[in-house]
Amino acid sequence: MHSLRNPRRSAAVGVAAVLTLLFGACSAPGASEKAADTPADAAAVSGSDQAGSASPGSTDPIKIAVVDAQSGQLSSLGAWESKGAKLAVDEWNKAGGVNGRQIQLDVFDDQGDPTVGTNIAKKIASEGYIAMIGTSESAVTLAMAPVLAEEKIPNITSGQSPALAELKTSFLFLNGPTSVTYDESLAKHIVDEKGIKKIAMISNNGGYGKGEHDAFLAALSARGVTPVADQVVTMEQKDFSAALTKIREANPDLIFIGSEEVEAGLIVKQARDLGITVPFAGAAPQGTPVYIDTAGAKNVEGTIVSSPYLSNETSDASKKFAEAYKAAYNETAELHGAKAYDGTNIFLTAMKTSNGATGKALADAVRATKYNGLLGDFAFDESGVGIFATSIGVIKDGKLVAAS
Amino acid sequence: MRYRLVVLALAAVAAWVLPYGLSLYAIHVVDVAIVFAILAIGMGLVMGIAGQINLAQVAFFGVGAYMTAVLTTHVGMGFWTAAVLSVIGTAVVGLLVGTPALRMQSHYLGIVTLGLAVAFVSWATNSPLAGGASGISGIPAPTLFGLDLSSEYLFYYFELIVFACALAFGMFIVRMPLGRRMRAMRDDALAAGAVGAEVRSLRMAAFALASVYGGLAGVLYAGLIRYVAPETFSIANMFLLLAMVIIGGRHSLVGCVVGALGLSLLREALVDVSTYAQLAYGAVVALTVVFAPNGLAGLPGRVRSAWGRRRPDKAAVLGDFQPYEPASPDVVGGPDRDDWILDVRGVGKRFRGLIALQDVSFQVRAGEIRGIVGPNGSGKTTLFNVISGLYKPSSGQVIFAGKPATGRPPHQLAHAGMARTFQNLRLFHLMSVRENVLVGLDRSRIRSIWRYLLWPIGVFRDDREMHRAGDELLARFGLVDFAPAAPRSLPYGTQRRVEIARAMAGRPRLLLLDEPAAGLNGEEVRQLGEIVRSIRASGVTVIIIEHNMGLVMSMCERITVLASGSVIAEGTPAEVSRTPEVIEAYLGDAEVNDNFSAEDELPPATVLDATP
Repeated sequence: MHSLRNPRRSAAVGVAAVLTLLFGACSAPGASEKAADTPADAAAVSGSDQAGSASPGSTDPIKIAVVDAQSGQLSSLGAWESKGAKLAVDEWNKAGGVNGRQIQLDVFDDQGDPTVGTNIAKKIASEGYIAMIGTSESAVTLAMAPVLAEEKIPNITSGQSPALAELKTSFLFLNGPTSVTYDESLAKHIVDEKGIKKIAMISNNGGYGKGEHDAFLAALSARGVTPVADQVVTMEQKDFSAALTKIREANPDLIFIGSEEVEAGLIVKQARDLGITVPFAGAAPQGTPVYIDTAGAKNVEGTIVSSPYLSNETSDASKKFAEAYKAAYNETAELHGAKAYDGTNIFLTAMKTSNGATGKALADAVRATKYNGLLGDFAFDESGVGIFATSIGVIKDGKLVAAS
Repeated sequence: MRYRLVVLALAAVAAWVLPYGLSLYAIHVVDVAIVFAILAIGMGLVMGIAGQINLAQVAFFGVGAYMTAVLTTHVGMGFWTAAVLSVIGTAVVGLLVGTPALRMQSHYLGIVTLGLAVAFVSWATNSPLAGGASGISGIPAPTLFGLDLSSEYLFYYFELIVFACALAFGMFIVRMPLGRRMRAMRDDALAAGAVGAEVRSLRMAAFALASVYGGLAGVLYAGLIRYVAPETFSIANMFLLLAMVIIGGRHSLVGCVVGALGLSLLREALVDVSTYAQLAYGAVVALTVVFAPNGLAGLPGRVRSAWGRRRPDKAAVLGDFQPYEPASPDVVGGPDRDDWILDVRGVGKRFRGLIALQDVSFQVRAGEIRGIVGPNGSGKTTLFNVISGLYKPSSGQVIFAGKPATGRPPHQLAHAGMARTFQNLRLFHLMSVRENVLVGLDRSRIRSIWRYLLWPIGVFRDDREMHRAGDELLARFGLVDFAPAAPRSLPYGTQRRVEIARAMAGRPRLLLLDEPAAGLNGEEVRQLGEIVRSIRASGVTVIIIEHNMGLVMSMCERITVLASGSVIAEGTPAEVSRTPEVIEAYLGDAEVNDNFSAEDELPPATVLDATP
């Protein structure tokens, strides 16, 4: 690198190299590429050919990809999601598969990185996967969506960002409500039904916290309510006394938390230490055992939670799911696994009713599927959202139960 | 040379036909890898070449990508207009991010830039303009001369051309005077300043360069993925980039590219076991730092030197010094002339409670050889540091060639004709002997940096001229055999001579030599005396700090004696050696001497390592 060469000659070489490239670029390989003369190309082409044309006679396994974070900060969500999806597929395979074809489920790790997501989207397209069960990382889903739409691969995601619904590609579906629904239901319950108007907010500046903050604030504004305090903390913060002291001064009747399980638990714990006695409210993370354990059962008593899946004891279906989940993984089932389980079941049902369709036909079949799942009754609209309500629960004696 | 040409031609052909063998998925992976390669070149330039620890490179990447996204989707600009504005915008951000480098270096700079990178992600997550956590989708696909670049194959060729130009331009800078000054600054910022490199401006230039490459990568990313979200520019990816640069070899741009392409492809190959892969990256980075500090790029050199050790080359020989042409007597001047080249007036320097210099005054005539002697810790080197601009005196002033020199930065004094060597040798140790001398020859200014982009031929010509002058200088100092060698591989005496050659490269009017005979053997001291006399004969004034009394007494016209930071005597060697104070301070009885060193010894390391 540091050796000195004749600069004139190396310049000439550089120019020659660039010219070679320029001339090379004239005969575009992209066009001839589709003609496929390598095995890799053949796979790519057959992948896109499959899209749209059903092959009912085939007995090959149906390939479905699960894409979520198996490593990095969100890997615990990714593990739950892939377990939920796998549980559904195992049940179908045990019952004989879809129209006699077994289902092959492969997990891909997006590492929570949108760029890696686009790589995986191209990969599953070229390897002949006909559908995808997607991640709760909305940014990764958003990055993958255009590629999957172009390759005509229907996919159902665990993400809940309203931006997903705004894309309106006909191939993207959501296996739960958007964050707008969570917070709209919550605001409706708190403001309209219970008449609480003196509300303080505390949220973090991460992706999830920011989304919750905006959605809940919008729901309040629509009701003419202005929060008495609106504190933003960071995701790495451990001491919240400054923000909580300001909230205490505002003397609210209820505090909304927009944050993940552990941080929310710490916030509640420190709030009680500062003598704040009013109840808290939030979305799904505030109904989880992690939240309850972090804060202490006594401290979270009365927390109001908006979630499409309050507990494993809500219905017969959820009891059955929780039992099967426990048997398969020796773990207690929770929301993310339930969402992925529902989404996978919807897709497999659509494959069955459409007799093994792929591509656009499969997407249409999914849209037409009415499914009574763990989260409620799914009926998809053209934005890909299938469920428009959440339930309101309250933590009583350390357990989340439906609000009366 | 022919070998390199063949390799380059093969690489070009391989890059040209590559897409024909790749699936849509594989070409996408390659496209992403090239984006990271361009990003890594910028990182290599700022960190490996200029030695500025910049952990905000991923933020530059983000600024470029987000600006393109915002300008195309919110403002509705065309892709190419947005691209140009984004690169310019990123360069402005780069200059702002670089400003802390003017005040701090090494890990402090790393922490500050890391903080800025975190701040960028936080901004992107929370700003409505940047779309918050869901980012910005719907960036239009660029078209070029009617070609729709949404085809990843066509985008590959477009990227390849941008990449080739970016790499060529980066390598051009590294090999030309600008890059040489940056490398000199990386190896030793103090010495670089003393030979005339504008250290502060060079640091800013390095950040500007890095940000332009970051912006370029960001624009390509936006055009390729057509969606931006905060996660892409996370700290995790910053460390991935750092791993690319360190594993590839940060001192080599080609190494950075190899590291970036290699790690990108490896990361994709290991996507199914990414948890373990991330652990492995960490381990490989740690092992690289410990066992192969120059990364993959350093391996060929290590193999070669291991091979060379087994088959020793014909021994390099230190040639004879070829004396300078003596200048005419009226230029040379001498002790009898009246014009002062250096006038030190009442200079004092205190380091908190410690008084290093106190009311030091003396004048040096043009064409003189002046000796400065004194016991250890008497303030001699501090005096040199004040004269050459490394220290600002606490009181008094220095007049150099009739103009006030107090408070002027070292590089300005170097340009005005002052040169110096250092007590503990400060050669640019990662550069060859020839390059050390070339940095000394280099009188180009940062304000002519535009020529690198707009008039590269002129830069080439200047560089060729410098090489010619450099070869002449190496021949004069008998260093031809050592020209390609690393300074640290040379005998100590030879290194001393290289430092004098480097100082003389700038054609100074005043040369400050700080203990040039320390560590030399008898023959080498004799040669040194010859060199110094010839330098003086060519019209250069020399001030020499030296403990070798034989050399000082035989060579200097006048001697200034320092003790405890004050001038205690001045005169001809004969006069000085008769002064009672000198005898007492220097040779005197044991009691005085002991008290002296106990009270006033300045640790030399402390003095030299303090930044100006």
